[in-house]
Amino acid sequence: MLVRLAWRNLWRQKRRTLLTASSIALALFLSLLMRSFQEGQYTSNIENNGKSGVGIIQLQDPDFRDSESIDELLPSTEAFIHKARKIDNIDAILPRIHGFSLASVGSKSKGVLVNGIAPNKETDYTHLADKLISGQYLHVEDTDILLAEGVAQYFNVSVGDEFVLYGQGYRGQTAAGVFTVKGILSFPMRELNNSQVYLSLNQAQILFRTNQQVTSWVVSLHSLDAMAQTVEELQNAYPDVSVRDWMDLSPELEQSIVLDRVSGLIMMYLLYGIVGFGLFATLLMMTLERQREFAVMLATGLVRMKLLLMVFIESWFIGLFGVVIGASLAVPIIVYFYQNPIRLSGDLALQMLEMGYEPIMPVSISPELVVSQIWIVAVMLLICLLYPMWRIVTLDIVSGLKGGAHAH
Amino acid sequence: MSIQTIQLCKTYNANSDFPVHAVDHLDLTIQQGEFVAVMGPSGSGKTTLLNMLGGIDTPTSGDAIVDGYNVSKMTEKGKIAFRRDNIGFIFQDYSLLPVLTALENVEFVMQLQGHSEAECRARALALLKKVGLDKHQNKRPAMLSGGQQQRVAVARALAPRPKFVMADEPTANLDANSTAELLDIMQQLNEQEGTTFIFSTHDQRVITRAQRIIVFEDGRLTKDRQNPDYKRHTMSAS
Repeated sequence: MLVRLAWRNLWRQKRRTLLTASSIALALFLSLLMRSFQEGQYTSNIENNGKSGVGIIQLQDPDFRDSESIDELLPSTEAFIHKARKIDNIDAILPRIHGFSLASVGSKSKGVLVNGIAPNKETDYTHLADKLISGQYLHVEDTDILLAEGVAQYFNVSVGDEFVLYGQGYRGQTAAGVFTVKGILSFPMRELNNSQVYLSLNQAQILFRTNQQVTSWVVSLHSLDAMAQTVEELQNAYPDVSVRDWMDLSPELEQSIVLDRVSGLIMMYLLYGIVGFGLFATLLMMTLERQREFAVMLATGLVRMKLLLMVFIESWFIGLFGVVIGASLAVPIIVYFYQNPIRLSGDLALQMLEMGYEPIMPVSISPELVVSQIWIVAVMLLICLLYPMWRIVTLDIVSGLKGGAHAH
Repeated sequence: MSIQTIQLCKTYNANSDFPVHAVDHLDLTIQQGEFVAVMGPSGSGKTTLLNMLGGIDTPTSGDAIVDGYNVSKMTEKGKIAFRRDNIGFIFQDYSLLPVLTALENVEFVMQLQGHSEAECRARALALLKKVGLDKHQNKRPAMLSGGQQQRVAVARALAPRPKFVMADEPTANLDANSTAELLDIMQQLNEQEGTTFIFSTHDQRVITRAQRIIVFEDGRLTKDRQNPDYKRHTMSAS
């Protein structure tokens, strides 16, 4: 009976009900689109950041975080890493050696960052081979070296020239070697372009005398959403290893995402705030204009709690309409842009291409975003209902019968 | 099953310099099945009395004992159940629920009482037939005339089989024909169902049909007499 009454009451003022539901729908539609684009962009940035070499998760020796020393290593054996391979969410696991060395050609010398990589696995994940502008990419057993373009230009070397590395290896051993330049890589970011050199993992292990050890295992995931769980699983599998996620590895990226997300959320809450005032006005009007009717219902024996429930159901119907309409409009659009992302053009596209990113506006398709919007509408409704409910709770039947809305 | 008031008082602005005594130390007894008109000028306390007897309003002092229950001392929850099961209300402006049909309006209080759907439907249809509106059962109040709406209100008031019906100026908005029809119906129901009817009114048409006339002035009972012209409906009909 209450549901039937509530339903019919809604259509006493069709226009008002539809306008209020539409305002909720519009807020939800805009918020959902905005948040989906935002989260899609963040996911893309995190994945791109990972593919630039950092990965989504890294396994490291616990002391490597602070020292970044070639002395703090993990085994590079299959026996060590096979536990990680069993975790479903892990897409790829790449062994890495990161070391610092002095490079020298002729009378010039300069500090460089030496990366020992598994060439095939590395390019599968980071597309390193695509950055080759001259020469050839490394093979697994290669003894040659790849140089970033800035490094090659500094030393004025090209493919086929010799390149000397001299530094400190594992446990104070000398890490020195002469390598033939096999290829030149171009990186969009200057700091990478001026510092990176690449060796095959075997060659780097020989150079730094690390034997069957690496400085880190770089992990990429199928789903970022399940990262926390994957970190936990890795930590359980490797209790003595430091499992660092992308937030730990790239705190500046995390900060930029947090800042952007907060500004987006503020915009969203402002939008809902404006809609909330409209909703509040509607709910209050729906209550005040029916005080006499409510008083009659109470006088004839309706329990006040049921009256509250009826108004509650009416409000939830309005909210439900808003959510259903808003989500019905937003979800197909989000799905469309998820499958057909907007392609950027002009300077922005060039800039992204130079960074190694695909020039698109990715969209996140996440049920959590829809659910969070529903929660926001629900909380907004509850807040807006507080005062009208209080008016009903304190409604004096005699006053209500005498004068309706102005009798309170 | 009677109504008794003992030194019943309702005072507004009791703590101010100018207290208003809407009902002033009233002692009154109304027997079961009476057809009583409470008359008096506006502000004389008629509606306040009905509200206190019906458990809508709380007396400042004194007792209102209805069917053995002291309504003045009841809790809010107790009053709700008491009103639902014992009192039918008829208001001047009909006060039907606009989103319900005539039939649903009559069923409403019975549903609150917890009767089955079939029971509610049968009783509501029977009452609508009695008030001559069975053909309008599916119309909403807005599609009915004032007189028809008030007849639905009467049927609604009687649907839960109350012992008492409090009618606050029920004919104030009705024309002469509608008033006569409504009074016929109420008197008939009073006689057939044994329900006690108490009207507040200053409508002479109602007063002449009442069995007993109580006159109020400034919250005080000034006259209480049997109406010598009162005729039972069955007699008048014959």
